[in-house]
Amino acid sequence: MATTGVSMAAREVNGSAIAALLAAGIGAMAMGAAVLLNEAGIFVAPTLYAPAGGVSGRTTLATIVWLIAWAVLHNRWQAREIAPGRVGGLTLILVGLGLLGTFPPVWALFG
Amino acid sequence: MLFSERSIWTMLHGIGLGGAALLGLGAALFYLYAARSPSDSTDPAARSGAFAGITVGTAVTLWLAVLVGTYIIFPPYRATPPPGVSDLREFPRAMLLAAPGTAWLHAFAMESKEHMPWIASMLTTAVAFVAVRYRSKLLQDPSLRRLSMALLAVSFALVSFVSLMGMFVNKVAPLD
Repeated sequence: MATTGVSMAAREVNGSAIAALLAAGIGAMAMGAAVLLNEAGIFVAPTLYAPAGGVSGRTTLATIVWLIAWAVLHNRWQAREIAPGRVGGLTLILVGLGLLGTFPPVWALFG
Repeated sequence: MLFSERSIWTMLHGIGLGGAALLGLGAALFYLYAARSPSDSTDPAARSGAFAGITVGTAVTLWLAVLVGTYIIFPPYRATPPPGVSDLREFPRAMLLAAPGTAWLHAFAMESKEHMPWIASMLTTAVAFVAVRYRSKLLQDPSLRRLSMALLAVSFALVSFVSLMGMFVNKVAPLD
């Protein structure tokens, strides 16, 4: 019964939702960073499937970062009410930066 | 045979999965937009259940599209032609890069397609999770709804862009 009570209370606060949305922003940023670092020759994610080449490593790495960030944030925020304004803004900034990192014309600035 | 196996995979990826994802994202965005002024005649639970179904279906479709694209279609696209081969039709990337006028289709269009759809999948999955876990609260909470709409709009724009790039690439160097 206590578990059900906690679960119902957790559904009332927005922590899990904000955690999921921010984690997606972190995942996007991780994708952009993995691509930019690869193009700059600073860090090359290992190729996991040779026929697909380096994209298999970069996308897997970013996906793992996304899932870890989601799990950590979910555990920390699931029972809390989070002010959505700042975190929402941060999420959008991370998504924007991540997209810039995956945009080929930007690579020329770092390559 | 009318279509090769590679061609069928390409159609499944672009028209089937990509097209379905665009429809789903469009429907989800409309749902959130319409939820700004809820109708008294519609049961909130039914509306939120339908929205959750649409977003989950769209997220699954997007993940299938990126996985098929990355692990089934991309390998034959990027295959290196053996030395001495002059007919590059079986090697789309080499064919695009061989001509200055089409090189951008790899350097810009395909390079964009390699990573951006993964971001769209993450964003859509996050909104799908919120839709399933919070149901009607997502439709009723203005801040959650706005942030979810923003992420779905980014996802819609990304999928539209990479779909267009895919059409260009496939028009010039089809994976037959």
